[in-house]
Amino acid sequence: MAGRAVESDLAPDVGRLREEHKKVVKGCEGQIEHWRKVEKDYDSLQERLKTLPDQLSYDIMVPFGPLAFMPGKLVHTNEVTVLLGDNWFAKCSAKQADNIVEHRKKHVKRTLDDLHKVVKNFEDRASFTDDLDRVSGSKGDYVDIREEVLNDEALTKGKRRVAHKPHSKPKMDYVVALEEAEEDEEEEEEEDKEEKVRVTEGEDRDGGKGVVTEEDLWAQLDALEAQEEQLDERDRMCDLTDTNGEDTSSSSEEEKEREGTGQTNDSPKEDHATSDIHGSQLNGVLHTHPEEEEGKEEEEGEEDPNALPTIYFSHTVEPKKVRINTGKNTMLKFSERKEQKEQAKNKKKKNGKANGHSRHDQHHKITTPADIYRLFVDVVNGELIPRKSILKSRSRENSVCSDTSESSAADFEERRSALGRTLSHDDATHSDTSDCVTEEDSPPGIPLHSGSRFEAFSGTVVEKDPLPSSIPHLTIAPPALPTILERKSEELCTEAPQEPPKRVSKFKAARLQQK
Amino acid sequence: MTTKGNLPAASTVQETTTQKEELNKKIREQKILVDELSNLKKNRSVYLQQPNSNIFFLADRTQTMSTCKKELDNLKKEYQDM
Repeated sequence: MAGRAVESDLAPDVGRLREEHKKVVKGCEGQIEHWRKVEKDYDSLQERLKTLPDQLSYDIMVPFGPLAFMPGKLVHTNEVTVLLGDNWFAKCSAKQADNIVEHRKKHVKRTLDDLHKVVKNFEDRASFTDDLDRVSGSKGDYVDIREEVLNDEALTKGKRRVAHKPHSKPKMDYVVALEEAEEDEEEEEEEDKEEKVRVTEGEDRDGGKGVVTEEDLWAQLDALEAQEEQLDERDRMCDLTDTNGEDTSSSSEEEKEREGTGQTNDSPKEDHATSDIHGSQLNGVLHTHPEEEEGKEEEEGEEDPNALPTIYFSHTVEPKKVRINTGKNTMLKFSERKEQKEQAKNKKKKNGKANGHSRHDQHHKITTPADIYRLFVDVVNGELIPRKSILKSRSRENSVCSDTSESSAADFEERRSALGRTLSHDDATHSDTSDCVTEEDSPPGIPLHSGSRFEAFSGTVVEKDPLPSSIPHLTIAPPALPTILERKSEELCTEAPQEPPKRVSKFKAARLQQK
Repeated sequence: MTTKGNLPAASTVQETTTQKEELNKKIREQKILVDELSNLKKNRSVYLQQPNSNIFFLADRTQTMSTCKKELDNLKKEYQDM
């Protein structure tokens, strides 16, 4: 009975083993079949090659596509081309080809032998498994030694996981220890570490270990947050008192520096000892520029372990920034228009000399890629479209045409040009900030709407001409434009091409009117 | 035990049957071929395909017929041996 049971136990495994053996044997037999066919092909080829040079020519049916044939003659019977592989052929005689075939047949034979060996091997194995089955089943002089395994696979898997755990655990300990030591160290770093700890906690939460530390950490976190809030309030108080308006005409480099420092001190930190929290902490709403230089130096000093927690939300006060802030898209468009007009002016002035580089004049600073798109625009049906390529001259001509037409448009143009001037004024600050900074920043409450913005600029504006051979610009006080400029410009565009030759005279007329 | 002993025998039987079928098919083909060749007019030209290619070589009719007959005999002998 016991032997019977053993047999039934073994049966599926042995069956599987036999199946595998059979599979291998079958695959080998398939390969053998293939190689036999190859061998046969080579045999016939060799036969043909041996008899081919016997005659000078053979009457054959020449294949004409897969289905058609035509009678023909095979000549040059002792010239064959042998495919060497990879579409390389060797021209040789029939005898040489025969040798090559012989060589190849050897290889085929070798493979066949190998395959036969494999088949034999596996057949033996199959027979052995059969024998094994028989022997274990019949329970003769043989004893089957077996070891009982209890659900082994899952256990090993679990063990592996456990083995991995030590790697993560020390990490957490390390973090905790660091945190403790950190109390005297930089708060900034502590913050980061806490983040890390939080992460590790999340990982180890399932592990069940480190629950105590977790609570500790959370408590600590809460305390730190409270501290932070306190500090924040204090800072705000100090900030309000400590705003001395510096000159806003700080260069962009300075701005950047300030930004950089702000970023380094970005993370909110708490300070135990130092109470000299002064106005160097900007809160984002106020557009203040507190003591730039000294503040910076202090900040650099404050990079020490007991650093003052500082958040810098500084508005970058680059010259063009104002325009972007106030005007949004429309403003940008206006500026583009102005630039186009300026370019048109250049064209007028230089005429023959005007080329694509006129846009790259020194008063068009290109500092960012966005500036390129701002400078190189096309006017299509009065809409400004960013040019795809700055190298295409056609589009530039288009824009120029529109510019000239715009300037030529009579009555509207006066207002329009005036607007242009005001705007160009903005732009002029790019080149020389010293003169125009005050003007630029003077209207602090420039509203977003263009109409009201006009009122803000309602006075006569005299522009400083950045060009060496200055053509007097139109500087006419716009009589409080109520209309929407966008539409007007479109109208201008549509009207424009009617009277192109007049434009210079219009300009002059405008100038006269101004006088 | 007994069933296991029978299993390989069954497989061999199957193999032999398939082989026989194949051989039978070949013999039939060969028979048809010989018939066709024997029914050809005297002036008909016979072409033999070069195996593994698409070229047909002009062959002698009588010679081809004789080889085909030999082939058929061989096949028949093989079939009887199985």
